[in-house]
Amino acid sequence: MSKSESRSFFGKIFRMRSEDREILKIVGLNKEQAGLARYFDFLVVAAAFLLFCGAFHLHVMLSAGDWDMFIDWKDRQYWPLIIPIDTIMFPAAVQAAFWYYFRLPIGATLCGVCLLTSVWIGTYSYWHLWTMFPIVLNVPSIIIAGCILLDVILLIFRRWIFVACIGAPLFALTFYPSNMAALTGYYVPVEHLGSMASMADVIGYTFPRSATPEYIRIIETGTLRTFEGTSVWVSGVFAAFVCIFLYMLWWQIGMAFSTVKTWSQSPKLKKYLGFKG
Amino acid sequence: MAFIDNIIHGKGLKKSVNSEKYSNDKLPWYTKTTVFKYGNFGIFMFGIIVVAALVAGARIYQGLYGFEHGLDSMSQGFQDYWMTLVKAELIGIFSFNVVLWLYLWYSRERDMDNVKPEVELKRYINLVLWILSYTFIVYWTTSYFAYADGAWHQTVLRDTSFTPSHNILFYGCIPLYLTFGVGGFLYAMTRLPSFGRAISIAYTFAVLGPALILPNLGFNEWGHAYWMTEEIFSHPLHWGFVVLGWNALAIGGVLMQIVIGMSKSFKKINSKFADNSNSEFTENL
Repeated sequence: MSKSESRSFFGKIFRMRSEDREILKIVGLNKEQAGLARYFDFLVVAAAFLLFCGAFHLHVMLSAGDWDMFIDWKDRQYWPLIIPIDTIMFPAAVQAAFWYYFRLPIGATLCGVCLLTSVWIGTYSYWHLWTMFPIVLNVPSIIIAGCILLDVILLIFRRWIFVACIGAPLFALTFYPSNMAALTGYYVPVEHLGSMASMADVIGYTFPRSATPEYIRIIETGTLRTFEGTSVWVSGVFAAFVCIFLYMLWWQIGMAFSTVKTWSQSPKLKKYLGFKG
Repeated sequence: MAFIDNIIHGKGLKKSVNSEKYSNDKLPWYTKTTVFKYGNFGIFMFGIIVVAALVAGARIYQGLYGFEHGLDSMSQGFQDYWMTLVKAELIGIFSFNVVLWLYLWYSRERDMDNVKPEVELKRYINLVLWILSYTFIVYWTTSYFAYADGAWHQTVLRDTSFTPSHNILFYGCIPLYLTFGVGGFLYAMTRLPSFGRAISIAYTFAVLGPALILPNLGFNEWGHAYWMTEEIFSHPLHWGFVVLGWNALAIGGVLMQIVIGMSKSFKKINSKFADNSNSEFTENL
């Protein structure tokens, strides 16, 4: 049996190719050091996944959570406006760090996947099992399609300014269509107490949230309804416009967060910390 | 110490590895793996398992006693089941934190100018393990139990700041992520020359930002008690948590600092072995 055939499953996946050996030769790492670098990579991947799941979810939950959580808040006026504006921030920052330092065009998609994973774990474990809201009431938004577009645009153009001008508007404009298939059933019109409502509205009326009474539900409150079928696109284009500038800002924030900078240490504390000089 | 060694290395394994009568061929296969050679992987995994057990215990406790004793803060059941828990969490976790942080300070490196690159390398990996442990509890806090808080406050009108969801989220999880956040920061400052020589701005933000969520709770509770009784998640009252949570992204800067430090350690080690093929250094770790 040849050596390659006798390798374990993981051995085959992670085996070193001739190209890898060349790279190690250039950077001056021996085999053991390369193993340590790979070990470091696995720890960082696990830490990054947990970090983005937690921090991104907190950000969305407390700045746009109502529209993300509830099916009857997913209207044509605020939902396609607020969610893209709110959710482009973390993908832009993470893209900046991943692309600038590692040339990895996966930052935005990673954020999208982390958000959806953490939202669903919380939704099922607490909203459904603990407080017994039905899953049909708590359907989260999906931003993964827009995130993939951001990463693809970055991969093609290789400049963040192009992602800001092309990718960010696409992120906002594809948000509503990419969620449409999952939500179509909820937009079916039904008769409720003699008035027309959507299926999503009826679900919201049926399962009351004690602390979110109907009068504070923020949906379609302006005159945008008079635009009828085009109202969602008016919101989408507005979101696209804002997303351009927010992407630029958050790319810079991502760069700032991932930059190594230090404050000078006081000589007295340095002495306590074991520095002689 | 023998008990801790057994947890980290397996029963009697450290002794047998260091014994001269064992040649390299006779050692178990896993003693030759990178995970075994570098960093204290075992003790960090032990810490993560303990945190996971606490998280599972908290979820079960909320399920059992949330609705049974958590609806009326004036009831005796609430005092017994929920206020006792808060006191136990605050006293228990902060006591542990003080002991751990003092241990890290008193066991600090006393000669930072002469830390061997092999030792430095091992400490960098330990620092990444501190960060992994930190992000593990950060996830449970900022996503899992924060969402639980949302579910609870949509369902039950609060009559106290010490609700069943808050008692786990704010007084259990946040002190627990301070354990790992501040612990890792102290570990880096007291053992790694590159972190001790000057204060890392990224690490300061990554620890201080999420830590300030605890005092920001005062504003949140004040707002809910006197100003906003309904629950709008995206209300500006909650934005303090959001802005402080952004600081967790500064972990990226800390990891970049670690990468730079590890590269320098590799170069120092390789300068000893000109042919760049010697694996002797790993056996001395």
